[in-house]
Amino acid sequence: MTRAKQDSCDVAIIGAGMAGMAAALFAAERGLSCILVGNGGSLLFASGLLDLLGVHPVAERRRWRLPYDALVALAREEPLHPLARINAVSIRSAFQSFVAALGAAGLRYAPLGERNRNVLTSIGTIKATHGVPISMIAGADLLDALDARPSCLLVDFRGLREFSAAQIAATLGDRWPRLRHQRIEFPGYEAAAELYAAHLARALETGKTRERTIALVKPLLGDARAVGLPAVLGLARAGEVHAAFEAGLGVPVFEIPTMPTSVPGLRLLAALEAAVSARGVRRRHHATVRALAFDGEGGTATLALDGAAGGVRARAVVLATGRFTGRGLTADRRQIRESILGIPVHQPGSREFWHQRDFLDASGHAINRAGLLVDEAWRPLDAGGEPFWPRLYAVGSILAHQDWMREKCGSGLAISTAWAAMQHVARQLRGTAAG
Amino acid sequence: MSSTLFQTLLYASLTLCGLGLLWRVSAWFRVRIGPDAQEVTPSQRVATLIRGAASALFGRQLFRFLGAFFLDVLFLRRLYANEKLRWLGHLLIVVGFTVLVLMHALAPVVTAKLFPGYQPTLAPYLFLRDFLGAMVIVGVAMVHYGRWRRRNGFSTTRGPANAAFMVLLTIVLASGFLLEACKIASPRAFYRMTEEYIGSTDPEQLKPLRALWASEFGVAFGDLREPIDPMLVEQGRELHRNACAPCHAQPASAFVSYPVAQALAPVMGFLDRSGADAWLLYLHLFACFIGLASLPFTGFFHVLAAPVGLLLNAAPQNLVLSASNRASQRALALDACVRCGICDVRCSVAPLSRYLGNPGLLPSHKLIATGALANGQLLRTGHEYDALRAADGAFLCTDCGRCTSACPVGLDLEDLWDAERGDLAAAGLARPAQWVQARPAFTWAESLEIDSAKRVISDADVSRVPLSADRSVFSRCVQCQTCTNVCPVVAHSIDSGHGVDLTPQKVMNLLRLGLRDLTLGSRMVWDCASCYQCQESCPEGIRVADIMLELRGLAVQRLGSVRSWRQPS
Repeated sequence: MTRAKQDSCDVAIIGAGMAGMAAALFAAERGLSCILVGNGGSLLFASGLLDLLGVHPVAERRRWRLPYDALVALAREEPLHPLARINAVSIRSAFQSFVAALGAAGLRYAPLGERNRNVLTSIGTIKATHGVPISMIAGADLLDALDARPSCLLVDFRGLREFSAAQIAATLGDRWPRLRHQRIEFPGYEAAAELYAAHLARALETGKTRERTIALVKPLLGDARAVGLPAVLGLARAGEVHAAFEAGLGVPVFEIPTMPTSVPGLRLLAALEAAVSARGVRRRHHATVRALAFDGEGGTATLALDGAAGGVRARAVVLATGRFTGRGLTADRRQIRESILGIPVHQPGSREFWHQRDFLDASGHAINRAGLLVDEAWRPLDAGGEPFWPRLYAVGSILAHQDWMREKCGSGLAISTAWAAMQHVARQLRGTAAG
Repeated sequence: MSSTLFQTLLYASLTLCGLGLLWRVSAWFRVRIGPDAQEVTPSQRVATLIRGAASALFGRQLFRFLGAFFLDVLFLRRLYANEKLRWLGHLLIVVGFTVLVLMHALAPVVTAKLFPGYQPTLAPYLFLRDFLGAMVIVGVAMVHYGRWRRRNGFSTTRGPANAAFMVLLTIVLASGFLLEACKIASPRAFYRMTEEYIGSTDPEQLKPLRALWASEFGVAFGDLREPIDPMLVEQGRELHRNACAPCHAQPASAFVSYPVAQALAPVMGFLDRSGADAWLLYLHLFACFIGLASLPFTGFFHVLAAPVGLLLNAAPQNLVLSASNRASQRALALDACVRCGICDVRCSVAPLSRYLGNPGLLPSHKLIATGALANGQLLRTGHEYDALRAADGAFLCTDCGRCTSACPVGLDLEDLWDAERGDLAAAGLARPAQWVQARPAFTWAESLEIDSAKRVISDADVSRVPLSADRSVFSRCVQCQTCTNVCPVVAHSIDSGHGVDLTPQKVMNLLRLGLRDLTLGSRMVWDCASCYQCQESCPEGIRVADIMLELRGLAVQRLGSVRSWRQPS
């Protein structure tokens, strides 16, 4: 039997979703040695769009064109919101750094600027977001110029059940009369009853399939100023595939994210994995933390991992375990618990207050604002209001006082809190780095 | 024992042994294993071997054979490399037994010729005989301990003939020690000798000699009272020096028999009256003769077959690889296998074998099945289920080659398994992937449902709770299709226009619905390439690939229990 290995590092990050990946990136950029525990599967549910803050307040469903103005309003009206506690300079730096890392890993984003951009969703709704991949930006540009009634062609593939150009066109028809739609056979898959987005994305990375697809779309162009396609334009070589479509069709081409789990999710996961590994972050894939113990106030933390993954000793620990889907929080019949350490969770007084009477209540549900309370250094608090351990931090959606789904701030929350917390981690570890 | 009876028995058992050896050796050229072996006649096989051996022995190859003889046959280099304990045990047995045969059994023709003063009752022979016997006993104990330590929960492949032979060997050794002990302690033997060499059996007259032999040679005189007068002993020494000493040393150096003799002292009178030394001698000799005669008919025939196999391995490749010699080597392998089971310990699919409850996957069991297939025993009516299980075992081998590299006798087991599979296929037996997929998944599920009369393997028969029966493993599936999206098998099958019947996420869904039996024969499960992309990518951390692999194992078990003999394939 091989003995389970025991590794040590400056900072151990538990959870490899958006927040954990961002924390690992920022830790590595600050020169901290870092071990990232967990697999990045939850990133597959991401659309590739990086929201900052789209809606506030939730009850009014007010959409913001300028996210930094929204943050000012948020700070005024919900000072406990995690995003309200970070200054705009930090948030800008966090986003720039994150997007730059993705770009270096081959997933390029349009310049961030100050605005939220509108993008089409696969069901024909319009969503406000901040970071838009290059492959989707032409769609956002078109929506900006909707008053000019631009001519646009949406194309979908027979058999790809999760994406219907006809539905998008029908939903938007009133506002966008010159939006046309066409359905084509995906070349080489004529015999298949059902198509899967990732398979098409991989198939389009071969020149022959790409050329045949472009040849099928070209006669349908008409006067279209742009072409929208489901997000299947390549995986590892997405940039190349997108450029080939634009060159072949002679008009801007944009992707529309499909239902999760989507190809943009696969690209984001691949890019983040490449980015953290390029920065020397060590990974413990598929490991779950069985126990987390602290060796005194000034000592180290020891993570016991499941199975053969061994253990990790760290000077600081970051909880990026998410809420319920990430299993950072567990809800039972009576209450919500933090899954690893049982840190007190800020939550409604009893289960009857978890949800509103109406499922679609405009103001959202109290359970979706439950989470960990943290001090000014992003350290979760124990029952007495003191830090649970001096170098234990929490980032991302496990934090209380936010409803990221309704506020359209998931990526913003993950990236910004990771950035802010890592500032404190670095400062504190440097302070104690005598040994 | 009269010398006529002795000689009759000796020659009878030698004849039986010789005929048996001829029969067994002829099998190396008669038995046909593998489709290519069907093409070569026995006479061709004999001719090829003789030609090859002649050309090899009278050339530079001779040194290779000599090297193989010393390193592989005598030193047992391959066993040394694999299991030090059993190597030592085996060496003790071989050396102990061989020297016993030469020095003791063949004493009149070997030892007496080499050492003119030889008497079995002189030093160092008294000591050596016990020492060699003890070597064999310790060696046997070590080999058995080594086997016990590596036991795998399945029945052993060593048959009743081997067990009987072990009993014979035990009788030979035990009767040898007892006989020796009796001869030491027996007063009757003492008087027989004094009558012959001193001409007296009178206790009074022999009093000093008796005193000496009682105190220093361990004779258990029932009528002698303790303590013995030291003066008397010294008087006896004089007589002893003249009459006895030329042939008798003090037996204390016989470190096994002498203590046994002392232990037997209280019952020596009874043993003498019942003629124990005579019937122990008969027992000893009979056991030796029966052992000699039956040697070719037990697994201990390996003492001849294994060295031949090891020497053949030293032959040049072109000789070893000719179809004709390969056929002979396979037949030889059946005899050369010593059933040590080291291959079973190293076998890559041993865990699968335990999981399936089918020892037929283990090399030592496969070797037996190969022999049974070659002589028609495996396919006899009434034992179809055993044949199907043996075939599963043969076909689930991954050809990793670890058995071959571990075999202390140097058998080319991979070649043997390849040949066996060829024969099984020729007999209409198919690999699991074939017989499972010969029917659609849903008809298998129906068979499992309908065939309640037959014993269908249930999860209760499996050593641990299968992943596919543990709700906590797959109940988190949200049917997000990630597994299907990343699956190269699904992609390829769509690409080629032959879509798989179920996608991975549909397999997970059937598990969630409790319809596992519907998945067992599905193409998705059987075409899974185990690339683990699904498992790596699953957002819920579900062990999709592990489940696929397990479903194949379960299919072999469960569908195997309801399949019919010679399914259309």
